[in-house]
Amino acid sequence: MADIKQVVLDRDLNPYHSFFSSFFGGLAELGMINQGSINIVSKRAAEYLYSYLEAKEILPDMKAVPGETSTEVAKNLILYINKILSLVGEYEFKEVENGLAVLLITGNTCRICPKGVGGAEVKGTLCPIPTLVVSLVNKIAQQELLELVTTGIEKDGPSCRAYFNVLN
Amino acid sequence: MAPTLSTQLDVILNDFERNVPHVQATAVVSTDGLVIASRLPSEVEEDRIGAMGAAILSISNRSGGELERGEIIRVLIEGDDGYILIRSIGEYAILVALVEKDVRLGLLFYEANKCIVELLKIL
Repeated sequence: MADIKQVVLDRDLNPYHSFFSSFFGGLAELGMINQGSINIVSKRAAEYLYSYLEAKEILPDMKAVPGETSTEVAKNLILYINKILSLVGEYEFKEVENGLAVLLITGNTCRICPKGVGGAEVKGTLCPIPTLVVSLVNKIAQQELLELVTTGIEKDGPSCRAYFNVLN
Repeated sequence: MAPTLSTQLDVILNDFERNVPHVQATAVVSTDGLVIASRLPSEVEEDRIGAMGAAILSISNRSGGELERGEIIRVLIEGDDGYILIRSIGEYAILVALVEKDVRLGLLFYEANKCIVELLKIL
């Protein structure tokens, strides 16, 4: 297991990051959750987060969200979501070909990984970010802006990546 | 042209369903809980079958180890209206079958073994 104290400092974690990543990491070690169930509950969580943002009156005005293309609008919504939730330190969202975008996360800056932060010693991935992002972006945009292509996250060396179809 | 993996899986699942009367639905799922192939009725949510099937088998394996029951051969859940059969297919995949109550369990287990042997050849 990685040095937990170092992870806290390196990734600039808040107490909720530590709690939720270790909580979900523990459930995964018991065999109770997997990437499939994380995808399902992330979608549910997006509904609740949307209600939270609505209640707090901090939802962005879609007319004021900058971006001339759907990809740019989605990129700015992801920026907003990451600012609110502080999910990751470094990431990039970009179009890789016509209508296909990738979210590239620098793995060792992720603050909610049940494995990297929460210490889950299990095979496979346990990433809530792709489904959470796609569900929350679409909910905020009030339209299907993104569609998840990958079923979770793909580990590629130090990066984690998820692909999306950009619609409209 | 060689058949795709998806087509080959569908053929094997179809054979299994044909050989065992009362099998209503089948799915091959990754141990991550993500569906690889399925023959499910439209009212069954594929994502949920995948996530729950993998989680149930994973908890069962964990319990089997902790409680010294050895390697888990199968998980069979019995409900008022039928069974759920869950089996490992090697290290990375799982077979899930939804079965009516009237099934002959011996036939189900026998054909499930045969089905897994066939699935292991292509997965």
